[in-house]
Amino acid sequence: MSAVSTAVRSVTVRGNRRTRAGAAILAALVLIALLAPVLAPHDPNAIDPSRILAGPDLSHPFGSDALGRDVFSRVLFAYRVSLAVAIGSVLLALAVGVPLGLIAGYFGGPVDSLLMRPVDLLLALPALLLALSLISVIGPGTWVALFAIAVIYLPIMARVVRSSVLRVVNEEYVAGAGARGVSRMGVMVRHVLPNSLGPSLVQASVLMGFAIQIEAALSFLGLGAQPPTPSLGLMLADGYQVLQQAPWADIFPGLAIAIAVLAFMLIGDGMRAHFDPHGVSR
Amino acid sequence: MSARTRYALERLLLTIPTLLAMSLFVFLLIRLVPGDPVRTMLGFRATPANVATIRHQLHLDEPLPTQYIAWMGALLHGDLGRDYISHAPLSQLLGEALPVTLELTLLAMALALAVGLPLGVLAATGRGPVRRLTDGFVIAGVSIPDFWLGTLLVLLFAATLEWLPPSGYVPFTSDPVANLRYMALPVLTLAVGEAAYILRTTRGAMEETLGAPFVTFLRAKGLPERAIVFRHALRNASVPIVTVVGIQFGVLLGGAIVIETLFGLPGVGRLTVTAINQRNYTVVQGSVLVIATMFILVNLATDLLYGWLDPRIDEVVER
Repeated sequence: MSAVSTAVRSVTVRGNRRTRAGAAILAALVLIALLAPVLAPHDPNAIDPSRILAGPDLSHPFGSDALGRDVFSRVLFAYRVSLAVAIGSVLLALAVGVPLGLIAGYFGGPVDSLLMRPVDLLLALPALLLALSLISVIGPGTWVALFAIAVIYLPIMARVVRSSVLRVVNEEYVAGAGARGVSRMGVMVRHVLPNSLGPSLVQASVLMGFAIQIEAALSFLGLGAQPPTPSLGLMLADGYQVLQQAPWADIFPGLAIAIAVLAFMLIGDGMRAHFDPHGVSR
Repeated sequence: MSARTRYALERLLLTIPTLLAMSLFVFLLIRLVPGDPVRTMLGFRATPANVATIRHQLHLDEPLPTQYIAWMGALLHGDLGRDYISHAPLSQLLGEALPVTLELTLLAMALALAVGLPLGVLAATGRGPVRRLTDGFVIAGVSIPDFWLGTLLVLLFAATLEWLPPSGYVPFTSDPVANLRYMALPVLTLAVGEAAYILRTTRGAMEETLGAPFVTFLRAKGLPERAIVFRHALRNASVPIVTVVGIQFGVLLGGAIVIETLFGLPGVGRLTVTAINQRNYTVVQGSVLVIATMFILVNLATDLLYGWLDPRIDEVVER
């Protein structure tokens, strides 16, 4: 028994440490994004012909790009786009996916099939292809990318919530609330919902991390944020063109993406031990 | 009919409505474009005669159900339509692009399995340092965007060491060695993240299996640990691993879109991206259709394999 409890504790402690590390990084990134106009040493869009592909120095720690723009300032501003798309797309997917999964799981039967079949069809396309299809219809842009990523995430969210609802509805306190005369609506919203949210929070964190990568990939392909918006994906596309002459224009934006994704992954991993002991969000 | 056969048949039948719904989605895609899709597609080439011809060829002047039936009918005869910029039939374009994408994704998956599986087993059975090392690989592999990893590999292997070409393509049939040299970096790029994912899944599945009562029993019976790990535990752990490999194949197909563009490989992914940028809707339609069909069929194969690997599926179906 003691061995088991020690193991469980060590997992949770490791989980907490990871969550804390991830949350600290994320908090720093959010601050950077919010304070970008104050923190950035230069105007992110200012073109300086005398600094084309110039290397890093004290006033330009990440060097300059092909137009002589300050890479460091652009990275700071680009975090605004990345984080806004990551958080916005997941919130949108949660706003639609949670009610869908909750109602489908709680009522079951024909309601379940009616709601989940169309949702499952969204899973019949590879995620990035679904996003590209939507962009091919609507046209490229940051908001389109946000919306497209939300559409990719919607079925995942609905599925995760539904499976944890299926687990929760069989709990005794749910039956107890029904027996006390709480309405079905009341049981669903006040008892089932709060107890089913854990795994979707874990999922939300991991998906925000992937959203940063997807947004960057879409912008890299020219189908997300449009120039001259400072966006990490666009910076990688530009940086790739000058990879040999000015590797800093490529390496720093890439690192910036990896750090942001890492923060969300650490938070998700750490929370999993706490919020999702049954592994529903896997 | 055994429960397992019934499961396989049900799963096969379920694929038909999925394919139909997907075809409907792809069909509607071009028709949902705001404004006039034909004018948007033709751009400066949109003379009244051109617009009328193409509208007629796409059956856009007929009611939607008639359009769909005509489109599906042609599709079932292998006629995917034409590229309106190069005038080449889509079946020819896709026939040339598909082998490139398949080679890329299959090689990447093979490499990822060759690295991820053994490392996953090692991580599940190994000591602290091994675990921490694999932990680091998993976190790095998942966090680093694959297309950025690709640029770093180009910087190292193509620009600095000059061992491999940075981009381009030669068909396998005309020069196998050159083909593999062009494929090496894209495959490696795509495989790293995938290997991390397979490692994590294998480790989780192996840890769970190695803690199961039957393993304790085998240990009590005095079986050597090697036999337990490789002959018994790995087979039991293979169910979640196969599922993940199947799901991840779709992720690889998605990843291939970006990687093909990065490395200038003439696959379906690059065809799609170029077509979207040129608003070449029939090509977008055709390539989305082909990739999605492949994805659905792989999912089907995964589920069938899953039913074969896990005999407990019998009980689930019978209940």
